[in-house]
Amino acid sequence: MNKTIGLMAVSMLALASATSGTFAQDVKEISFINCGDELTAGYADYFAEWEAANPGYKVAPEVVGWGQCQDKVTTLAAAGTPVALAYVGSRTLKQFALNDLIVPVPMTDEEKAAYYNYVPDTVTFDGTQWGVPVAFSTKALFWNKDLFEAAGLDPETPPATWEEKIAFAKQITENTDAAGYGAVAKTFDNTMHQFLHWVYTNDGSVIDADGNITLNSPQVLAALTALKDIIPYSEEGPTAYEQNEVRAIWLDGGVAMIEASVNAGILADEAGMNWGVAPLPLGPDAKGPGTLLITDALAVFKGTGVEDQAISLAKFITDGQRQWDAEMAQGLTPLRPLHSDELVAEKPYWKPFLDGIEFGGPEPLFTDYIGLQNVMIEMVQSVVTGQAEPQAALEKAAAELEQYK
Amino acid sequence: MTGTRSATIFALALLAPALIYILAIVAYPLVDTIILSFTNASLRQEYDFIGWANYQRIFSAGNFTEVILRTFIWTFFSVSIKMIIGMFGAVLLNAAIPGQTVFRILTMPPWIVPMAIGIFMWGWMYNGQFGMISGLLQNFGITNGPVAWLAYGNTAFWATIITDVWIGVPMVTIYFLAAMQSIPKDLHEAAWTDGAGRFYRFRRITLPLMVPAIITMSLLSLIATFNSFDIIWILTQGGPSGSTTTMIIDTYKTAMGSRKYGEGAARAVVISIFVTIFCIVYFRAVRKLQQGEAK
Repeated sequence: MNKTIGLMAVSMLALASATSGTFAQDVKEISFINCGDELTAGYADYFAEWEAANPGYKVAPEVVGWGQCQDKVTTLAAAGTPVALAYVGSRTLKQFALNDLIVPVPMTDEEKAAYYNYVPDTVTFDGTQWGVPVAFSTKALFWNKDLFEAAGLDPETPPATWEEKIAFAKQITENTDAAGYGAVAKTFDNTMHQFLHWVYTNDGSVIDADGNITLNSPQVLAALTALKDIIPYSEEGPTAYEQNEVRAIWLDGGVAMIEASVNAGILADEAGMNWGVAPLPLGPDAKGPGTLLITDALAVFKGTGVEDQAISLAKFITDGQRQWDAEMAQGLTPLRPLHSDELVAEKPYWKPFLDGIEFGGPEPLFTDYIGLQNVMIEMVQSVVTGQAEPQAALEKAAAELEQYK
Repeated sequence: MTGTRSATIFALALLAPALIYILAIVAYPLVDTIILSFTNASLRQEYDFIGWANYQRIFSAGNFTEVILRTFIWTFFSVSIKMIIGMFGAVLLNAAIPGQTVFRILTMPPWIVPMAIGIFMWGWMYNGQFGMISGLLQNFGITNGPVAWLAYGNTAFWATIITDVWIGVPMVTIYFLAAMQSIPKDLHEAAWTDGAGRFYRFRRITLPLMVPAIITMSLLSLIATFNSFDIIWILTQGGPSGSTTTMIIDTYKTAMGSRKYGEGAARAVVISIFVTIFCIVYFRAVRKLQQGEAK
């Protein structure tokens, strides 16, 4: 009896190990890091659909919080144990590409044309694409109508130019308890992003397509000077606040105008604020409405043996309607103008976020993105705190950027 | 002979776990970091040995000496204030006052609260718009409007020191209290009988007898404070304009931010050299104190 039970146990173990061996041999895993608090809406269904069309491959998603996500992806790649597919800030693609950690994901002309203009540029380096755009953010100007009215301004008329923005901010600061403008200048990545709003609403740039640093230009000097001019009418100590902290001050009625993504409007509704949203005010050299175009991308890492399948998966989950549904679920600016007219008709507050794309600019792609970020933050802070004049700060920053491009 | 040999083997066997632990956790990473500091290691898998280039680069950049100086100033003030407050705290807790036990318990929260939570709490208190400090100052009419303490170089520098002091004081206080309580009571009683006042007894009895504890605690605190990372990183990330960038922050930004592992390792080696010097001073001081006690 004991012998029979023993034989059965051994047989079952052998069967179990044979099954798992067969599974391991036949099914290849595609590891996927999804940044955020939960798997992106719809992805579970998309994975199942893709797996059904690609037998022998299984997607293994891992959700990693935003705070650690980029570091985890980078560290795994640097350690030689990369994930197959990962959600990364498009700004890091150049660094990954130059260090031979990711594979190119070229777009056809048809694919490029489907996106809003400039979106493919955010993932393009050396003439090819290095990731599949997966999330898009644009910014617009939010204003508190009650504070405008209290300051004696027309609550329905937002500033359209920098000159008006500074003048309105001054009037609000002088006539109410609130500051006119929410300036962002903390030692934090979005300090550079917020400054790039000024740059891209005045036809400026940081680096050109040939890799030349173009920061030291009249357009960027005007941007830095305008930022300096509006600081007296901003919240006290802008070097202490990053974008979301300034948004909190705006929601609390402490500042009248901020530059933020569409989520600020949703939060303002929850806070019961009387608010409006308009395109970012324009500088004297602007050719049209502009904004900073930030994208995240799906990067395919080298050395996993499933690179082709990872590319296929990335293109599948970001394809047309699937991507649109995910964007609407997350409140993100659409990457493609698929149903934009209907969106604006239904929710008019989306208009300024889409209008700004036409003359917007991407996050500059640098080999050492953190180096770029540190230089830009230092430049902004030195001007905001009065330690340097705009021209001197600009020259210093432009010279320092050479080593990071 | 056999007895000696077996005693040696037994001793080695007892030491083996600690030796293996130190080799794996301390020696190997240290040697690896030193080797890495002579390379151009980055995100790329392969790297080349580049001699002293990393060291030449960091010392010729100019701002590294500024960072070293700032680190020493930050450490000096933080350790000094901790020692002074810790000493006052120990004297108060040692005094025969009602509710002494409650006060001793109340000393502990900064040490008990998880460090990151304590730092975030201070971050909120320093906030100009919603922070308690700015609010109180406005309520009492001391300031006209909000003051963002982390917005300016000077105030941010001192804000990080105050937070470090808040976290470090309980340990110093308890250590000094223990040292104070080990002083024989009859010395104080004899001096009191001779008419010596409180301050005189503190100056001529307590303080001299606490010198070993003060030296030991100062050096241990110096080593810990020199490498203090969490406080500055969470509060200011080294800003504004680099005003709170100490050597450890600078090293982290280079190695983990810019992914220049070789250059970051060189900066880490420089920190290790300073910490090694502090350790040598500490061990020498301890040995001297022990020799003094033996005499």
